[in-house]
Amino acid sequence: MISGLTPATVELRGLVKRFGKDVYAVNDVDLYIERGELLTLLGPSGCGKTTALRLIAGLERPTAGQILLDDEDVARLPAYLRDITMVFQSYALFPHMNVFENVAYGLRVARRPKEEIAARVDEALAMVGLEGLAHRTPSQLSGGQQQRVALARALVIRPRVLLFDEPLSNLDAKLRKRVREDIRELQQRLGITSVYVTHDQEEALAISDRVVVMREGIIEQIGSPHDLYTRPASRFVADFIGSANFLPGRYDGKEIDLLGYRWAHEQDIAAGPVTVMVRPEAVEFAREDEQAVDATVVSAAYLGAATEYLFDVAGTELFATMSGGGMSAAEKGDRVRLRLKPTAVSLLPAD
Amino acid sequence: MDASPPSKAPRSRRLAAGLAVSGAWLPAALAIVGWWALPIGRPSRPFLTLQPDLYAVAIGHPLLWLALLGAVTALGLSFLPLPTARRGDLVLVAGTVGLASVVAWFVVSATPFGMGALLVLAGLVMLLGNALSESGRVQGDAFIASSILFVSLFVLLFIIYPLFTVLRSSIYIDGRFDFSVFLRTMQHPLFFMLGNERSAVDEVGLTLRWSLAGLVAFAAFALWRRAPWTRLVGRAILGGALGFVVGVLLYGNGALPTSLLLVSIVAPTATLLGLTFALLGQRARFGAVRRSLDVISILPIITPPFVLAFAMIFLLGRRGLITYNLLDMSSGWIFGLPGVAIAQILAFTPIAYLLLRGSLSSLNPALEEAAQTLGANAWVTLRTITWPLVRPGLAAAFLLSMIESLADFGNPIILGGNRKYMATEVYLSLTGRFNPNEAAVYGAVLLLMVLGAFFLQRWWLGGGSFVTVTGKPTSGALAPIPRALEVALTMVLFVWTVFVAALYLSIVVGSFAQLWGVNYTFTLKHYQDFFSGAGWAVFLFTARVAAISAVPAMLLGFLVAYLVSRQRFWGRRFVEFGSLLSFATPGTVMGVAYIFAFNTGPVLLTASATIIVIALVFRNMPVAIRAAVAGLAQIDPSLEEASTMLRAKSFTTMRRVLFPLLINTLVTGLIFAFVTAMTAVSQVIFLVSPGNQFATVLLLGWVDQGQLGRAAAMGTILIVSLLLAIVVVLQIARMLGARMVGVRT
Repeated sequence: MISGLTPATVELRGLVKRFGKDVYAVNDVDLYIERGELLTLLGPSGCGKTTALRLIAGLERPTAGQILLDDEDVARLPAYLRDITMVFQSYALFPHMNVFENVAYGLRVARRPKEEIAARVDEALAMVGLEGLAHRTPSQLSGGQQQRVALARALVIRPRVLLFDEPLSNLDAKLRKRVREDIRELQQRLGITSVYVTHDQEEALAISDRVVVMREGIIEQIGSPHDLYTRPASRFVADFIGSANFLPGRYDGKEIDLLGYRWAHEQDIAAGPVTVMVRPEAVEFAREDEQAVDATVVSAAYLGAATEYLFDVAGTELFATMSGGGMSAAEKGDRVRLRLKPTAVSLLPAD
Repeated sequence: MDASPPSKAPRSRRLAAGLAVSGAWLPAALAIVGWWALPIGRPSRPFLTLQPDLYAVAIGHPLLWLALLGAVTALGLSFLPLPTARRGDLVLVAGTVGLASVVAWFVVSATPFGMGALLVLAGLVMLLGNALSESGRVQGDAFIASSILFVSLFVLLFIIYPLFTVLRSSIYIDGRFDFSVFLRTMQHPLFFMLGNERSAVDEVGLTLRWSLAGLVAFAAFALWRRAPWTRLVGRAILGGALGFVVGVLLYGNGALPTSLLLVSIVAPTATLLGLTFALLGQRARFGAVRRSLDVISILPIITPPFVLAFAMIFLLGRRGLITYNLLDMSSGWIFGLPGVAIAQILAFTPIAYLLLRGSLSSLNPALEEAAQTLGANAWVTLRTITWPLVRPGLAAAFLLSMIESLADFGNPIILGGNRKYMATEVYLSLTGRFNPNEAAVYGAVLLLMVLGAFFLQRWWLGGGSFVTVTGKPTSGALAPIPRALEVALTMVLFVWTVFVAALYLSIVVGSFAQLWGVNYTFTLKHYQDFFSGAGWAVFLFTARVAAISAVPAMLLGFLVAYLVSRQRFWGRRFVEFGSLLSFATPGTVMGVAYIFAFNTGPVLLTASATIIVIALVFRNMPVAIRAAVAGLAQIDPSLEEASTMLRAKSFTTMRRVLFPLLINTLVTGLIFAFVTAMTAVSQVIFLVSPGNQFATVLLLGWVDQGQLGRAAAMGTILIVSLLLAIVVVLQIARMLGARMVGVRT
């Protein structure tokens, strides 16, 4: 365990970063990060999430706006004076130093006494489970081990905020799941405020307290993973997190009307024409006696644990995933009746 | 869920937004100590005099007191508890006032600077660096800001200012604009002459006939292509101009046409041969061929530039081994254009080879493989795929050969014969005709020619740095050259190697021969004379000076490479331009420039070892910059960012992260800076003085006087010792590099 951590709050006010004449990588972003939370910046490449992270780190200078660390504006402060450390995508371990020296680097720079350095480095290595590897060089470690050294190095100097720049992208898929769980568990145990950047939405949903979806330098939506998935605020968010279908419908404040198929729904949105967002897992075959909507099967793919369907609903495509055993219940060309699970449906303003 | 901030967080103990005491106090104190305890000026050339009346206190000029006031104010301000940015601005003002006053005093009083002045200036500049960084005006810490200031000042003082004095002295004489020297030089037959009354040939008439021929030929070609009127006229004019140029080159006399004719012979030949060797080196079927090429590439570095010319006298001169003993000819045919051209081709082909080797190695073999799968045989692939992709590298090699040929001093001096050359005329007008302004005119014209060629190429090829093409060697098999071509090229290489080996051998043999061409008995007399006479002492002096200059050249080069490639700052273009200028300027021009700039006034430096060291530092800085840029490109920038995030300032990052990783590159850069310094001649020849003699200059003098044996002895010792130095140091570098297993993360 690392002792003596004092996690901070982070606030971005009107943050702008412009490159060249008219490339706005970060365009007037406002954000408040709670003490001890893990907040993820999520979005496609070029959305500004990495730039925002680097602005917080101090590796870029903002064009305008404030960056408040516990209510102190650090926007003009250089990186080496902020109490923030970062785990890099390539880990950035110093190849000419062994594990111990890498982790001890920040303490050496701060000229701590030798005994203190030794004790704290051992503590940090034990925390990430790398005791006994202190004398190896980075080239003698696996990818996952290198990443843990980078983590230990970042934590040993007791930062107030910890930043992650796509730390898992250099690991293979199987390792990614395990390591992301380790990171989350450690972060919660230490209670350290963390900002995490990734383009992988599954990763974001799995480990974050809150997720910020960004696009082209602005924030599309902020919320918990659950909120973002069940109540996306825009088509972009709906489509970026998970997959989504969009069907035209009507809402009268109490019920949704989808081509005659009606069901109760509560959402704070204006009545009138709406876009109905339907998650693939929301679609089921209706029983004879139930209300349903008519559709034709365009294609069906049996995947073992699930079957994927593509339906044609009055001219609009509907992509569905249905779990359950047995061969596909319907085939290409069949006319079927579908019902939707209300929990996996949300409304968006009509286009 | 984006709730408003909850109750106040615990205040951090450290004043995150500021520093208690400004870092400027230490340099300010340094400046004050320098002002008080050491003389601010000196009476004349010697540095270490401590003349009492040249202390700042004793002089008592108001500007000097103002400078002291600036430094003291800055010192006091450093301790005031103000917000860092505001305090930085105030210190900036105080420091600027101080620096401006000191500089102004020197300009006004024209006193040569003393040791105290060095301390004061260094202190004030570092003070300004601290202030710029703390006030937030320069992004980066005090070290970065101070480095930027220092580098800019050095570039301004030792590169821009001297060149400016050359340009100025060509048209501004005795305090007023005077174009008479300029015009007189331009019209002088030594510079340009077409139409010699004493010759049997009608040069002007012939030139006009060439012009006409060119005009007609181009016009006819345009007609055949059915070009429109305007294009026809344009083409005709172009043809006429080209014809005129050919005529001038063939029949003209004087430094300008001769140098241009030389370039038009040497540059294409050296480039072509370089391409030959590069192709062979990359794709030859025999390993022996490739290995011998590695040796060839080392040669131009370890030999003084004119050694081959000197060896040619041994083999092909009036009493040459080949011409006199074998072929029974006794002619001075090599003294003139033929000799100089051959010597230059021999010297510059390896440079073109190195450039083209890098260019070729960055060719992706997949392209050639794709062409092969589409049915192209080796010839067609070479012609349609390899050649177009190699063209930029060829243009660069051509340009480099052109610049080297124009700037070459040693070969024309030895083998030039009766003809005049631009680079040598700069020297001869100063030391032979005692006309510094004429030298300035030649220097200015030569400089403009070289810079013109440089910028023409950059414009044509579209930028890119002058750094060698560092292509990542790509994996994959390369298409072998067509058989017939490979045999032909290998023959060329063979002849070349034999010839060059014979030349070097002749120097070694010549150092042991009693009197070359007359008496070939073995003797150690020349070596005895060398060690007992001036030779050995001069050699040691040269080695010492070269070693002293290599370290700052490498450090400065590394610093410039780091600033230019890792930092963004106002004035970056200026530093880049300055180092480019240092690389492109011919040595003779820079030599004359240093004489103009540093012979009088506040920056009096001539007739000392110091000026030689400084000249060498800035001459070799571009080499170090190039090596450092290549080295830095191999290091992942996130290593430095990680270090910064772990609270290390830029100097610490450089020391703890970059230096250890680049030690290999740095050591290699060091040895090459040393070797290049040892073999310099064209600039140094202007700067030597009694007691400060350079080995290459001495060698040149001996050749001039006909003491070929002694010259051969000096040459042999130079070559052997440099070879040894390189081998030893490269071994060390390799051992150091081997410790960095897996440097690339």
